[in-house]
Amino acid sequence: MGANENSSAKPRVRPIVRIGIFLISHSNIVSLICFLAGVLALLLLPVLAKNTYISENALMPGSANNMLSTHQVSDASKFIKDLTDLEFRSTTSPIESQKLIAQYMSALDAEVTFHKFYPQFSQFHPPHFFTSSDSGLIAENGTCSSFGINTIGIIRAPRGDGKEAIVLVTPYNPNKVGLGEAVSLGIAYSVFSLLSHVTWLAKDIVWLVADSQYGEYPAVAAWLREYQAPVFHRVDEINRETCNASTTFNELGQGLYLDGKLNSDFRRAGTMAAALVIKVAEQGNQYEDSLNIYAEASNGQMPNLDLINIVNYLAVHKQGLRIKVKKMWSLLDSRWLNALGVIFESLGKIARSLNPQWKFGIPATEYVEGAATLASSLYYQGLGVPTGPHGAFRDYQVDAITLEISPKVSLTKVIRRDEFILRGGRLIEGVIRSINNLLEKFHQSFFLYLLTSPSKFVSVGVYMIPFALLVAPLPILAAYLHANASNSTPQIPSASEVDVRHKSWKWLNSARKVLVTHLWGVVVSLLPLVLCRIPNTTLTLNFVLWGLLSAFSLLILYLILGCPIFEAAGSQHEKNKWASLKSVTISTTFIGLSLMSVINFATAEIGALLIVPICLLARPLKLDIQARSWRTLLRASCNIALGFVVFPPISFVLLTGAFEDFYGINVGDYWNWVESLWAWNSATYLYVGVVHLPCWALCIHILFHPC
Amino acid sequence: MLIFLSFSAACSSASSDATMHTNNWAVLVCTSRFWFNYRHMANTLSLYRTVKRLGIPDERIILMLADDMACNARNKYPAQVFNNENHRLNLYGDNVEVDYRGYEVTVENFLRVLTGRHETAVPRSKRLLSDEGSHILLYMTGHGGDEFLKFQDSEELQSHDLADAVKQMKEKRRFKELLIMVDTCQASTLFSQLHSPGVLAIGSSMKGENSYSHHLDSDVGVSVVDRFTFYTLAFFERLNMYDNASLSSLFNSYNPNLLMSTAYYRMDLYQRHLDEVPVTNFFGSVMKTIHTDSAYRSGSNKKVGPAKTKMSLEQSISDSDRIILRNSDEEGPFNNLSVEEYLRDSVGQIWSAIFSNVNTFESIDAFVCYGLILMLPLLIFSTWLSK
Repeated sequence: MGANENSSAKPRVRPIVRIGIFLISHSNIVSLICFLAGVLALLLLPVLAKNTYISENALMPGSANNMLSTHQVSDASKFIKDLTDLEFRSTTSPIESQKLIAQYMSALDAEVTFHKFYPQFSQFHPPHFFTSSDSGLIAENGTCSSFGINTIGIIRAPRGDGKEAIVLVTPYNPNKVGLGEAVSLGIAYSVFSLLSHVTWLAKDIVWLVADSQYGEYPAVAAWLREYQAPVFHRVDEINRETCNASTTFNELGQGLYLDGKLNSDFRRAGTMAAALVIKVAEQGNQYEDSLNIYAEASNGQMPNLDLINIVNYLAVHKQGLRIKVKKMWSLLDSRWLNALGVIFESLGKIARSLNPQWKFGIPATEYVEGAATLASSLYYQGLGVPTGPHGAFRDYQVDAITLEISPKVSLTKVIRRDEFILRGGRLIEGVIRSINNLLEKFHQSFFLYLLTSPSKFVSVGVYMIPFALLVAPLPILAAYLHANASNSTPQIPSASEVDVRHKSWKWLNSARKVLVTHLWGVVVSLLPLVLCRIPNTTLTLNFVLWGLLSAFSLLILYLILGCPIFEAAGSQHEKNKWASLKSVTISTTFIGLSLMSVINFATAEIGALLIVPICLLARPLKLDIQARSWRTLLRASCNIALGFVVFPPISFVLLTGAFEDFYGINVGDYWNWVESLWAWNSATYLYVGVVHLPCWALCIHILFHPC
Repeated sequence: MLIFLSFSAACSSASSDATMHTNNWAVLVCTSRFWFNYRHMANTLSLYRTVKRLGIPDERIILMLADDMACNARNKYPAQVFNNENHRLNLYGDNVEVDYRGYEVTVENFLRVLTGRHETAVPRSKRLLSDEGSHILLYMTGHGGDEFLKFQDSEELQSHDLADAVKQMKEKRRFKELLIMVDTCQASTLFSQLHSPGVLAIGSSMKGENSYSHHLDSDVGVSVVDRFTFYTLAFFERLNMYDNASLSSLFNSYNPNLLMSTAYYRMDLYQRHLDEVPVTNFFGSVMKTIHTDSAYRSGSNKKVGPAKTKMSLEQSISDSDRIILRNSDEEGPFNNLSVEEYLRDSVGQIWSAIFSNVNTFESIDAFVCYGLILMLPLLIFSTWLSK
């Protein structure tokens, strides 16, 4: 950059270089403008949201009449009654209900199989970040006595080519059948019985009744692993040798084997075009039947928007269900957001009065709702934890969503329940018929988007802008600091050539410091691996231990690797040392954020919002206090406040407080949160450990730099 | 002598066109595949049924269907195709001869059919064996845009290609008149490059307009027919083979409000007044089909025919006669067989009546017999008068 500044004196400089130099020399103002514009653009996203539309021609949702009739519903009703009756007979084993489901399935001429799996308890596997949990780690910690049994029914498309399939999933706990689960099974059964005799199927239908006694996700994930990546040798042999408990599994099929309808081996259909997880909420919404859509899978991956679109279209226009996606409820009453909404609304009105073509204003209430939904969308994508069993499908690039239907009134009234099943079943039928029309994978619509309402979205092209504006000041400021640091020092006339060379490589010292801090970040993120082996610890104790060990490791690293840094520090360069350190810190933050935006955009967006201000503002407190003007004091206090807020546990508490509730938060929750992150292989955990925490530490280091 | 007389009479009453309309062909093309384009196949099959009903025989219809909806797994009614939600008429019943199906429907094959440049192995049934006296109906449906028509979701027919093919056809004297009917979005743009005389073009929509489907069959779950084709079919359903409805009445039957697009006609290359041209000139057949016992007899006739006409040429005195006769030499095997019909079309009523009477008599003997029987009342009458 120094070279650039020198060359500006020459008559001919290429315009792009000139612009670069201009930006760098005015980096303070540019940073401020960019950052504010970034925040403003983020707040504008609900206004810029577009209406969703069905992009794939082949889908044609709702073009066919529903065929599901009361006939299928009464069958389903009988099925529900049989299931719930089993529950009341206390003598029956949980296996009875699976038998019952299998009988009902085979009565529809479906291929029925059982899939036995050992639940895989979540464990910390640092090497498995970014790779889908692989089949090698099955059942190493599963005991023989605890296993689950999935029941699977497959209908083959009569004239289809058998290459594709649509999956219906109903999670179901055989030990404790709730009415909601029974009704969700009933809805799936009604659709399944209809599909067993229609002529228009082009894709096979797989109905997976996932045994959710060890959680919904593990059951679905185990079945998917077996479906997509079977292991041929190990598990079965181990089981046969060590487990005698599988007799119960064998007796499961006895009645059915005789019919020849049950298949003892694992059955597959074609590649999965889409999967729908059906749930029924037991306590309903008082106003009307409603439908909740959950779509977020691991690491902020989303299913194709078209899938959400067809569900939305069919639910709203055909079945008259009220459709919902998650919202940050706390944001709905926030006064500042309301005020902002009113401002945007009035701005929109003014714009329209100037030119009727400009239509960007939306009503304030809509803005607030959109912002709350957008915040939730960002938060759950950023968290990187799937919001339901559909997340397991995304790991195999299958588009899947969870549909949670909540009834208006209690499901105990049979007539009302039948009507509810009819509605839910018709919705599922419509969605399946639409997906059945699909010729290829879902590919037309967006994969990268944020929802601001069930029928509005912000696409990647728009939501990249705030992020780009937020991180743009970082390289500019880094360049400015670097240029300054290397310019201002060589004022000593006796500077020899060796000295100059020494100075031009001086940033390497800072780079080493930054590198060491990032190494420390890696160590901190690996510490839970050790900690979780310690038996009998509480959450709080774990958290405290973690904190202590982190501090200790920081100290050790400083002693081992950090010493030369302090030695090399000559007193005359002290002034510029912090600037050079800041420059390198900012550069690494920029790189870290950019990398993260590729992996999980929402995390990068939230992270940038937190870390960028302190990165831009950080300046030794000592200098600020010495200057004693109101400006520097203000900056110093801002820095202290930001340094406090950005510390990961504190920002976690603040964020959860803002989005959920402050009530009942303790330090253990942070440990809990971190545990859930690594259990789900969330890249956010890595981001916090390797990018965010070291950056925060370096900024704090700069704040307390001894100038 | 009688034959010769009628020939010269025909020439004197002939229109400005050098040749006469002797036969009809139809090329019906559905260019799009995939289940959601069901309606395009239904369009084409409906038109196939209509032209067949109005008299174009199967051997003169080239039917190109880019996909097989009838056997699609998504079809609720296997092996059936409907163009109406009432499901009264199965378009894919018996006797549907599809000449080009599936991936055979390409721009290359389409142009080969039009220009007649086939590889030697291509059977006659897949060729457009039209001639200078042919009226050809070219119907195309699919997804189009500004100056193109999409084929098979992978390639495009451009308006230049079409115009070039038509020009080649004209040069090769493969048609007398050509009606191009296109049901796509922005259909009119496909005609912009046409220059050959004798071409009449009609498209479902203007530039910048979409062509819409008519209705959705909620049982099958797809749209089953396009608006333009639907109203075309509605027009033809009222007609039979002998109706004299003119092309202008067809063209005027399109209501832009119902079509939701503006039907476009290009008439500047066409000489005749549309009021005078019956639709059956294109959508039907003027000819009686001639039954031949064996497939190759027409070939031997071809050799006999010219010899006969050359004899009459020697006796002729008018130049126009010569043109006609030479033309009939060049024409395909059918034309020599149908010299009589030529005459019947063009000569005045009396001549044709006499001629057909003469023609129906099986032999001179029969003629004499009938003559004698006719003489009998004359004799009685004359004796009665002489009393």
